[in-house]
Amino acid sequence: MTDPFDRLAPGDRIDGAEFAVSRESIRAFCDASLDYNPLHLDDAYMQGSFGKTNFGGVIMHGMTNFGLLSRMLTDWAYAAGAVHRRLETRWLAPVRPGDRIRPLGRVAAKQATAKSRWVTIEVEIRNQRDEAVARGEALVEFPASSGQSGQSS
Amino acid sequence: MATRFETDFWKDAATRKIWDDIVPGAPRKTLPYTLTLDAIQRYCRAVGDLHPLYFDEDYARRSRYGGLIAPPSIHILLMFACTPADDWMRSPGTINAGQSWSYNEPARPGEVVTLEARALDKFIKKGRLFVIHDNVFFNPRGEVICAGRGWTIRPA
Repeated sequence: MTDPFDRLAPGDRIDGAEFAVSRESIRAFCDASLDYNPLHLDDAYMQGSFGKTNFGGVIMHGMTNFGLLSRMLTDWAYAAGAVHRRLETRWLAPVRPGDRIRPLGRVAAKQATAKSRWVTIEVEIRNQRDEAVARGEALVEFPASSGQSGQSS
Repeated sequence: MATRFETDFWKDAATRKIWDDIVPGAPRKTLPYTLTLDAIQRYCRAVGDLHPLYFDEDYARRSRYGGLIAPPSIHILLMFACTPADDWMRSPGTINAGQSWSYNEPARPGEVVTLEARALDKFIKKGRLFVIHDNVFFNPRGEVICAGRGWTIRPA
C-alpha cells in the first residue's frame, strides 16, 4: 500500500463538517472555553462600538472558527497516521447566531525535512452566503514511520 | 482545590491592566489547572468533535496515543483556565484578531497544566490598540503541550 504522504498533491481538498451557529451553541462555547466576554452574551452591550467596529449584536467566539478548523485537521490527520502540528488563523468577518459555517482546506505544499515530512494546508471557513469569515494556514506532520491510521491495531 | 471560576467579566474589570499598563516582556500571572476528562469532553462537544480519541477509552488505549487525550485546540479552554480573574485577556470588548499555535505533546485528562505567558509587543495600527501575546503550556513532566501567539485589539 502506498504511503499517505506520497499520495497527496497540491490542490487536494479537505472538507470539514458544517456547524450551525445559535445563541445556544455560543453559550455552550462560553461554558466549554470559560470565555464569558460580553461580546458573546450581551446584546445591549453589543449595540456600542469597539474602537472603530460596531457589531450590532452578539457574535460567535472567533476561537470557535479555530476549534472547527482544528477538528477538520485532526480528523484528516488521525486517519492518515499524521499529526496536526500548527494552525494560524485570522478572522475576516464576524459570525452571528443563525449563520451556518463550514471549514475547508486545500493542500498547498509538501516538504521533506532532515527528520520528517510536512504538508502545508491553506484553510478557511465560509458561511452560508459563501463568504470567507476566517482564513489561515496549517502544518501537518507525516512522520516517516507513520502508519495507515491513528490506531495501531 | 480550584477556586470558582468568575464568569462575570465585568466584576474585576477595574483591576485589569489596560493597553497603557501592559509591558511587553513582563510575565503574566498564571494558575496551574487540572484538566479533567469532563472539561475536555465539554469542549469537544461545543465544537461538535466526538472523535473516539477523546471519548472512547478502549479505542484510545489501542491507538498510538495509548490513552485518552485532549484535542490540540484545548488551549482555547486552557488560556482562561490558567489565568486569574484580573488578567487582561478577560477585559470586556477584547477583540481576538488572530492566533497561531504549534502543537507538541497532547494534553491528557487528569494532568495539571501550567502556563508561561507574557505580552511580546504592543502597537497602534489604524487607530486600534494591539497587543501580541505569547503563551506556552506545559504538562507535569515539563514537556511543551503547545505554544501560541495571539493578536488582540484592546478596548480603548
